[in-house]
Amino acid sequence: MIPLIGQIWLIVLCCLDSNPEENRFGKNVSYPDEFDIDNWAPEDDTSLYAGLNKSGSNGKKLKTDSLVVNMGPQHPSTHGVFRMVVALDGETITDLQPVMGYLHRNHEKIGERNTFLQNMPYTDRLDYLSSMSNNLGYSLAVEKLMGVEVPERAEYLRVLMAELTRVSNHMWAIGFLLNDLGAFQTPALYAIRARELILDIFEATAGSRMMCNYMRFGGVARDLPDTLRDENTVDFIGDLVNERLPAAIDELDRFLTGNEIVRSRCIGVGVLPADKAIAYSTAGPLLRASGVPYDLRRAEPYSIYDRLDFEVCTRSNGDVYDRYVVRIDEMRESVKICQQVMREIPEEGEIFTGKPQYNVRVPKGESYGRVENPKGELGYYVVSKGKTNPYRYHVRAPSFINLTVLGEMCKGHKVADAVVILGSIDIVLGEVDR
Amino acid sequence: MYGTGILRGMGVTIKHLIDSFVDDLSFLGQPYYSDDALNVRQGTKGRGVFTVQYPEEKLPVPERFRFIPFLLYDEHEDGSRTDRCTSCGICAKVCPPQCIWIERSSDPDTGRPIPEPTRFFIDIDICMNCGYCAEYCPFDAIKMDHDYELASYDRTEAHIFDKDRLDKPVEYYASICPTDYASEEQARAEEEAKKAARKAAAAEKKRIAAEKKASLS
Repeated sequence: MIPLIGQIWLIVLCCLDSNPEENRFGKNVSYPDEFDIDNWAPEDDTSLYAGLNKSGSNGKKLKTDSLVVNMGPQHPSTHGVFRMVVALDGETITDLQPVMGYLHRNHEKIGERNTFLQNMPYTDRLDYLSSMSNNLGYSLAVEKLMGVEVPERAEYLRVLMAELTRVSNHMWAIGFLLNDLGAFQTPALYAIRARELILDIFEATAGSRMMCNYMRFGGVARDLPDTLRDENTVDFIGDLVNERLPAAIDELDRFLTGNEIVRSRCIGVGVLPADKAIAYSTAGPLLRASGVPYDLRRAEPYSIYDRLDFEVCTRSNGDVYDRYVVRIDEMRESVKICQQVMREIPEEGEIFTGKPQYNVRVPKGESYGRVENPKGELGYYVVSKGKTNPYRYHVRAPSFINLTVLGEMCKGHKVADAVVILGSIDIVLGEVDR
Repeated sequence: MYGTGILRGMGVTIKHLIDSFVDDLSFLGQPYYSDDALNVRQGTKGRGVFTVQYPEEKLPVPERFRFIPFLLYDEHEDGSRTDRCTSCGICAKVCPPQCIWIERSSDPDTGRPIPEPTRFFIDIDICMNCGYCAEYCPFDAIKMDHDYELASYDRTEAHIFDKDRLDKPVEYYASICPTDYASEEQARAEEEAKKAARKAAAAEKKRIAAEKKASLS
């Protein structure tokens, strides 16, 4: 990540440069008239601290003082550079404010500078645990504008990759949730064992384990390779989705679901009622664990999801435990989808429509492409003015929007529970801050 | 009964422990860090320890694995080299973080451009290994490397690769990506054959026209 951040920071510096001759991309930054960049100073935290609810509940008998604690930005439990400003009464949380922006990399502005195709590798770096789904969402948005059809085999490959991504992402989510619960590394490493095989497929097909950059407008970059680890690739994927992944999910289920410590730490913690989940426009496992059966693959089927047979997994309590169970169920459904894809995928066929072009022509217009990412609804809003780069580019990041509900869920719980609740939302800071 | 969940979980842990020993036993007598053994142990049949003792053991990378790009040159029998790069600049244009810098060469006498680069730089700190340059190069002149051990103590000099550092023979590419190399060579040969056929047809046409002209006069 470090070279990436450095590189993007260079680009940011380049873009902020007020002298248009020194900026190699021309004068592409403008500010409102009343805004003075040279004398601008960011707001300090005084108003943030003052706005916290510090009323304690047990202040009647004992004279206690409420305490404001900054968890983060460099806290091991925050999954990255994320800060929670917590108002405490004893060890009980009275208020919690998430503070984001420590990993801001100007993703949207860079997207407006880049050509449409150049932006594809940058979408890998949003939610870097599920880069294949990120690619899919962005290519759906641009394909809507371009009006290109995707060949049958490419559609199957896309869905296969997106669902394998979901499995690997949920494996990480569960592993990290157990890390946050204090069961350091053992569950996490058992969870990511099967993920390693999924990443092998990604690496052999797309060329990279995590920064896949696999989808193109009108298909995918490469077909499946012939061999993978000295085995036929189709056999490898078949073994994986028919035997290895179901076994790994069952094992994780056996390992954790009935565990008394997990149950007592998770059940009833961080409850999010359905109405609040909808009001905060959360999505993904967080929403479905609250009993709302909303899944984009069903609500607005994209790609070939309308032909596939799978269930939308829901639970009703909306606590940390239910989110965990929903993730286990969803992995099972994803494996089911992968099995269908491997059965029905056309043996031969095109994987790309048209001629590969490095500078695609995108007609004027705007479009919103959205996919059900492992973490929730990921949307890309692209406005084209007929030029080589988008006029406006916006990302609806599921982690970011799910994170807004954190304060609501943490109120009344202990500090240690806040860590678990954050882990159950399953955020990736690359996507939260963009 | 309270505690059964924990006991079952411990059963899973013990199974993992036993599996790792069984796996080790089945590979007894073989060198621990051979590619063949790693391919099996890291594949879908692997039941034992999945972690790799990195500097001693290295996972074989797949053919399409992409790291920092390099440039290809053809080596002739007399030892001279021709770059495949024609300095068309598509790689520099398509590069998302703009890390490629090319300078075209020109004939010293006439000042007209020659289709080969004089200087070629890639800043590997900026390169994001997306592989677009290799994907969109029309001459198969730039490819992604498999060498990922590039750490150094100095980033100002050592991390800006110039043409000498980037140049690698075609044979090297054939050794790291045999399948891709074969299919690309086939496509090139077909293209050449087509070109030759077109050329021959044009020459034939010219000859017939000349003959016609000669017979008329």
